[in-house]
Amino acid sequence: MSAVVSVMNFSRFKNLEFILGAVLTGGICLLVLLSDLLFPGAADRIDLSARLLAPFASPEHLFGTDPLGRDVLARVVAGGQISLQVGLVSVAGAVVVGVIMGLVSGYYRGFWDMVVMRFADVQLAMPFILLAITFIAIVGGGLSNMIILLIISQWVQYARLVRGSVLALRDREFIQSAQAIGVSDFNILFRHLLPNLVGPVIVLMTLNVANNILLESSLTFLGLGVDPLTPSWGGMLADGRTYLQNAWWVSVFPGLAILLTVLGLNLLGDWLRDTLDPTGRTSR
Amino acid sequence: MTQKRLGTALKAVALTSSLAVSTFSFASTLTVSSPQDPGSWDPIDTFLVNWASVATNIYDGLTYRGPDLMLEPGLAIAWEELDNGKRIRFRLREEVVFHNGEPFNADSVKFTFDRLMGEEGRKGPQRSNYAAIERVEIIDDYTVDFHLNAADPVLLTKLAGYGAMIVPPQYIAEKGEEYFNAHPVGTGPFKLVSYQPKVGVKLEGFARHWGGAPKLSNLNYRFISEPSTAVAELQAGRVDMVIPPTIPIGMIPTIEGDQTLEIATSVSPTVYALRFNTRSGITADERVRKAMIYGVDRQAIIDSILGGQAAPIASFQSELSFGNDPEMKPLPYDPNKAQQLLKQAGVAPGSKIQIDIRGDNATFNEVAQAVASYLQLIGLNAIIKPYETNVLLNDIIPAGKTGAMFQQAWGGWTLDYDNTAYFMYHSGEKWNPYDSDAELDQMLESQRGLTDRSQREQILKSIANYTADRALELPLYNVNAIYGISKRVKNFTPVPDSRLRLSDVTVD
Repeated sequence: MSAVVSVMNFSRFKNLEFILGAVLTGGICLLVLLSDLLFPGAADRIDLSARLLAPFASPEHLFGTDPLGRDVLARVVAGGQISLQVGLVSVAGAVVVGVIMGLVSGYYRGFWDMVVMRFADVQLAMPFILLAITFIAIVGGGLSNMIILLIISQWVQYARLVRGSVLALRDREFIQSAQAIGVSDFNILFRHLLPNLVGPVIVLMTLNVANNILLESSLTFLGLGVDPLTPSWGGMLADGRTYLQNAWWVSVFPGLAILLTVLGLNLLGDWLRDTLDPTGRTSR
Repeated sequence: MTQKRLGTALKAVALTSSLAVSTFSFASTLTVSSPQDPGSWDPIDTFLVNWASVATNIYDGLTYRGPDLMLEPGLAIAWEELDNGKRIRFRLREEVVFHNGEPFNADSVKFTFDRLMGEEGRKGPQRSNYAAIERVEIIDDYTVDFHLNAADPVLLTKLAGYGAMIVPPQYIAEKGEEYFNAHPVGTGPFKLVSYQPKVGVKLEGFARHWGGAPKLSNLNYRFISEPSTAVAELQAGRVDMVIPPTIPIGMIPTIEGDQTLEIATSVSPTVYALRFNTRSGITADERVRKAMIYGVDRQAIIDSILGGQAAPIASFQSELSFGNDPEMKPLPYDPNKAQQLLKQAGVAPGSKIQIDIRGDNATFNEVAQAVASYLQLIGLNAIIKPYETNVLLNDIIPAGKTGAMFQQAWGGWTLDYDNTAYFMYHSGEKWNPYDSDAELDQMLESQRGLTDRSQREQILKSIANYTADRALELPLYNVNAIYGISKRVKNFTPVPDSRLRLSDVTVD
């Protein structure tokens, strides 16, 4: 009896997780997508006579203004465009590259496995900032280059994760039977192996989106990222740092935006993992 | 009875504790936060202002220049210019000793300058500043003659700092050059106790200093590069003073809001400008450059972002600078005129320009964003590109790879416009990647070597006017030196040039 109750509570919690995650992520994405409609031009409008206005004091500047008199709310919303773009696109790119590499090297092993994994080792041994500075010194900064840089630096994690799972799965009976009845390699890779390892990949993805939003901020802070005129959460955090003691709102609101986005993505990721995990379904 | 005894006991305790307090205040320690570790304390190895903010306490020069910026006798008590300024005779102070007990005399002076102008000096950046010195001749134990290959009107000032600090010959001969870098010895009011690279340096008062023992018994510096950390340490009372260039303007209210702290400021020689690429792109046209100057409200930037801690400039020098023309006025803010000029020059609305800045200066980052938004208003589409400081200074600017505008900050502790103008405008100089102007070159060369001060000042002023007429840069402002200090620090005068000498400072 009590076991039934706990299971029920657990699944209710799972639902709550999904609802919260979806509301947070969806809400933030919606706001960010509509930012140009909601606050046309406000994110860039400098007004030196209205510097550092406190939040919640006037309806015009609900979150206050930054040191250049720009509306913090408008900037947080507009800043999401860059941050989410960097976070989502770079992770998507890294997943595509990493999963394919991992599947191929884990399934076929041999020569390609060795090439891919030694390359991965070399790259894991290289500090990110060194890679970033070298890369950006050669090809220059900017949004698209930053995304490419993040893909280059992160596909390895997915490749290793996927390869490990594939090595464990490839000798299991269901794969062997698929091979025995003549299923093509392509189908084995993407229809039999992939669904079984998608769980950990999704968990890693949700963590990486958050991580990449933060990396974007440190790169922007180092002057390797986007133009300081373009609002981004990382850039706003860095800019607000000097004002933390007398104008907390300049950095706290973008910080909150990062927090909520990351929280929403993590909740969704948890829920997705449990829903997609083929073994998880039977165990519950 | 017992009460009385208790009373006496209490009195005794009070007495001893007050004694303890007075001995404690005698053994007074001041802790200073400096943003940078210069790495070597050898005077010929450096050009960093934060070298000077420590080393001014360790070394003396022949001349001395304090907070009032007047030249005073240092290790030389008198000097006279001979042979039309091509020979200077110094009478040296007697009974001066180095921290290691070695006596100071004419030999030390000759050794110092032979070293600076010789092999050892060639390795460092200081030598070229003193290129006018041909040789030093010892007349007697306390008299030396400096023979110059050309008169240098700024030489006496240069002898008050940096490469001209007098070093001990025997000590260096015994211990070697390498050892001297980390274990400096001079004749100054404080001597080195310990130096921990990247962490800090500890000094103690030198009782045998010729000017009398300093009032502080210990003087500690900690290297804290992050402004928020330095200010937090100041608030926590673990440092007593934060010296420039550390405190961003945005943090001034934080310090002013703290009852135990205060801000001390001084006019400084540091000037900021956005210089133009005058060779290619739309800024090759003088009208466009003028339009950009008209289009930016510099006074509004000073009043708001810089919180009034800066003054507008008309040429690339501060009001302290020899050669500054007080008659010159900065171009006014006039966006209509700016738009007209852009139209005349045939610049299409929405033309892109790039502003290159250093990524490490929070205040200037805001200024650049404000400038970009002003340029937006006159129809130019400005983007900002931050660089790592060393990359911008050593690669991008000297190689002429900047955008249409780039950030330039200049200190110039000698307070002489020549020290700025020659490097900025003479053809082929490192800081002049784009422009080459024969007339300007000729003016710059003609004032070097003139000993007639007023004639030289006239030429320097006309150089300033000439560069403003050609709009070679967008002159922004001259910013104050900002010190955050604890109120327990007494008798401190903020210095304009970071060359702090703390011998008269006391702490409660």
